[in-house]
Amino acid sequence: MDTAKKIVLFQCQWCLYAPEDQDWVDHHLPENVHLTKVPCTGRLDPLFILNAVQGGADGVMISGCVPEKCHFKEGNLSARRQMDEFSDFLNYVGYDEDRICFTWLDLQDRGRIQKDVAEFSKKVEALGKSHSLNTRSVLPQGGAHD
Amino acid sequence: MTYLLKKSEVNQTLRAWTSKAHVYAPQKVQKYAQFLPVGEDFELSVEEPHNTRFPPKALFLPQSETLLKYNPQKRELESAKTPDQPRIIFGIRPCDAKAVTLLDSVFSSEDNPDPFWQARRDQSVLVGLGCDQPCATCFCTSVESGPFDRSGLDAILTDLGDTYAVEPLTERGVSLFENLTVASAETTQTIQAIQEKATREMPIAFGREGLKAHLDELFENEIWEDFAKSCLGCGICTFLCPTCFCFDIVDEVRKSTRERNWDTCMFKVYSIEASGHNPRPSRRERTRQRLMHKYSYWLDHTGQTGCTGCGRCVRYCPVGLDIRAMVRKSVATPSEVPHVD
Amino acid sequence: MTELENRILAEAQRLLSENLADVVIAFKQADTPLRPQPAFFTDAEAVNDLVYNGLCQNNLANYLTRYPREKKIAMVVRGCESRSVNALVLENQHPRENLYLIGIPCEGIVDWRKIVEAVGEDVLSVQDQADIVVVRTPKGEFTLDRAALMHGSCLRCTQKNPLGTDVTIGKPVAEQDPHLLRERVKNFEALGIQTRYEYFRQESERCIRCYACREACPMCYCEECFVDHTGPRWTESGVTPAGMQGWHIIRAFHQTGRCTSCGACERACPMDIHMTYLTDKLNTDMYDKYQFVAGLDAKTQTPFAAFNLDDKNRFVAGGTSK
Ligand code: SF4
Ligand code: SF4
Ligand code: SF4
Repeated sequence: MDTAKKIVLFQCQWCLYAPEDQDWVDHHLPENVHLTKVPCTGRLDPLFILNAVQGGADGVMISGCVPEKCHFKEGNLSARRQMDEFSDFLNYVGYDEDRICFTWLDLQDRGRIQKDVAEFSKKVEALGKSHSLNTRSVLPQGGAHD
Repeated sequence: MTYLLKKSEVNQTLRAWTSKAHVYAPQKVQKYAQFLPVGEDFELSVEEPHNTRFPPKALFLPQSETLLKYNPQKRELESAKTPDQPRIIFGIRPCDAKAVTLLDSVFSSEDNPDPFWQARRDQSVLVGLGCDQPCATCFCTSVESGPFDRSGLDAILTDLGDTYAVEPLTERGVSLFENLTVASAETTQTIQAIQEKATREMPIAFGREGLKAHLDELFENEIWEDFAKSCLGCGICTFLCPTCFCFDIVDEVRKSTRERNWDTCMFKVYSIEASGHNPRPSRRERTRQRLMHKYSYWLDHTGQTGCTGCGRCVRYCPVGLDIRAMVRKSVATPSEVPHVD
Repeated sequence: MTELENRILAEAQRLLSENLADVVIAFKQADTPLRPQPAFFTDAEAVNDLVYNGLCQNNLANYLTRYPREKKIAMVVRGCESRSVNALVLENQHPRENLYLIGIPCEGIVDWRKIVEAVGEDVLSVQDQADIVVVRTPKGEFTLDRAALMHGSCLRCTQKNPLGTDVTIGKPVAEQDPHLLRERVKNFEALGIQTRYEYFRQESERCIRCYACREACPMCYCEECFVDHTGPRWTESGVTPAGMQGWHIIRAFHQTGRCTSCGACERACPMDIHMTYLTDKLNTDMYDKYQFVAGLDAKTQTPFAAFNLDDKNRFVAGGTSK
């Protein structure tokens, strides 16, 4: 479906406890959802998010482990401070904060990732195409002045 | 033949030209002037600030331009088209036009011309505006140029209050202006007087006699350390310079393009090599490179000084490093190391 | 020479002659009238061309990271500079015991752009007097009101008196309302997301990527900046919308909890680009969320260097945010 809004999903490789959930993410994501796996949400750099946004993402979703269940103990906590501020900052600059979403999954959250992706997709669909910061464009031939 | 162009008719004339060419002229952007395409609500800005902040070399060598494109579907390389629109550049100052001719020696060399530069040069008519009121930062007469230098121009304008006197210098210049009123012999004399006065009154910033040889001898001197101490190592002086031409070619993989961007010797990353070695490891070498390139190496390569005295680097350096003062201080520094050939 | 300059000069000479400092970082008169130049005095005899006035626009803390740790550095610091020094000491850039801070309560920096705007581009000389600034140009002499020439960052400054100095020269000045920064941010936020983006787009579009803003900032001391990184390349390298916007967003964001709102970046920019509104937002947020103000001391960790299980923000356990 052409008109579906582009969503980039950053997934912590440890956050999905059920193999069938991981299998769904690995092989059965809707076509408009692009997956990038990270070793931990703590590995996320604001530059990753920015690259997704500039490359045309209408929404960015981050899934990670709940506090105190981080595979690396505290990676998710430091990610929380940074990502919270970064999305506030992008909102200030002009990229709607509703287009960035964080989902924290726990042991008992089997099957929740499917629901969360669907819910977020719906929300982004409602927000429509993002027009700001979506700037990866090819230069006019012969430079800006011609 | 000298013609007269009323200032009140400049707008109309330039807009009329847009039907046959892309016309560029200095216009206000925020609080500075910049060369922009002439459009409907065009307003010339040449009074204050006198010159454009961003150098017009960008009209010939854009700060970023695409050289190649890769078409992933066809798995083919496509070379970017060279621009083929005729262009008229109105109101370029003599120092900036001279700078373009200096850059010709880099990009229009006979054995290896740059097709993009060449195409833009061939397509462009340059109408210069001489400077009867030089700024405090100008020093064109100290570097083989002057406020009415004709290098690279197809016509030159002299400000006569409510009129510009137009002196066409080439065929292309004549064809732009031939319908205008011809100036009287008396006016021609006035123009000449204005031009001579402006040239005479331009202060000399430093003498060029023996400068190159002296600078060469100072290569290992500690004055460079001194200059480099406060230098930030930013790109202002070189990016705003009308004669700096260094560039970097980059493959933008995400866009499948190969682009050429301006680069500058003031950046550490400019000279760093793949091995990690940097032949210009500190600001000392980089500051020296900027000055020496302009006042020594250019002379080795082309016999001309690589600076036209526009004064942009002096005006906008955030730490007040003045290239004229740097040259003067070098001159005042005795060289200890004898020059070895 | 003003009395203040004389006293700074005497202190600099004393430090050098008594061997209490290897170098004194201050300002000297440059060859251009609108900008004094950062100066590095190493010899007590040679300190004579020291100047100090409202046109001293650079943040001298910027030069701290150029020296090896064992160097004893004395430095003239105003409020924002003293905070930058604290932030740098916190980040282990120089041991505090090898620093000697000569504090000067700050009357605010005069923005050279505002002078140029008032009198035209050509300025022959400028004299900063208590309440007025006298500017000589080829068109004649102008007397301008100093308050109207103040740089924007100084108008919103909350720490004019230097902190943690070894000696303070000059009378303390009155501090301003601490909410001016937040007010600016809130006013900008109220413009709505479309207008905000439009403003950002237009400002960043004029950028020529000269990186003077980076080089002028004391906190930008990385050996390799993300924009210079080639493998992987994080942002487009050219003056393309993606390249310029990416540069501004990440440059500012890397300052979170570190920027002291000194405005040196904005004053250095050759294209008059407004960018402190970005770092002002981050500074305001750091205060609102974590009660943190950069550089008040050299001990408190920056918010991003720490975290807390109880952090309250939009990312909460047991559901997607919002
Ligand atoms: S503009 Fe000034 S500070 Fe920047 S690189 Fe040039 S000389 Fe150094
Ligand atoms: S980002 Fe700008 S305002 Fe903040 S500390 Fe750096 S130079 Fe100062
Ligand atoms: S100083 Fe100004 S023009 Fe230079 S990179 Fe920074 S914002 Fe861009």
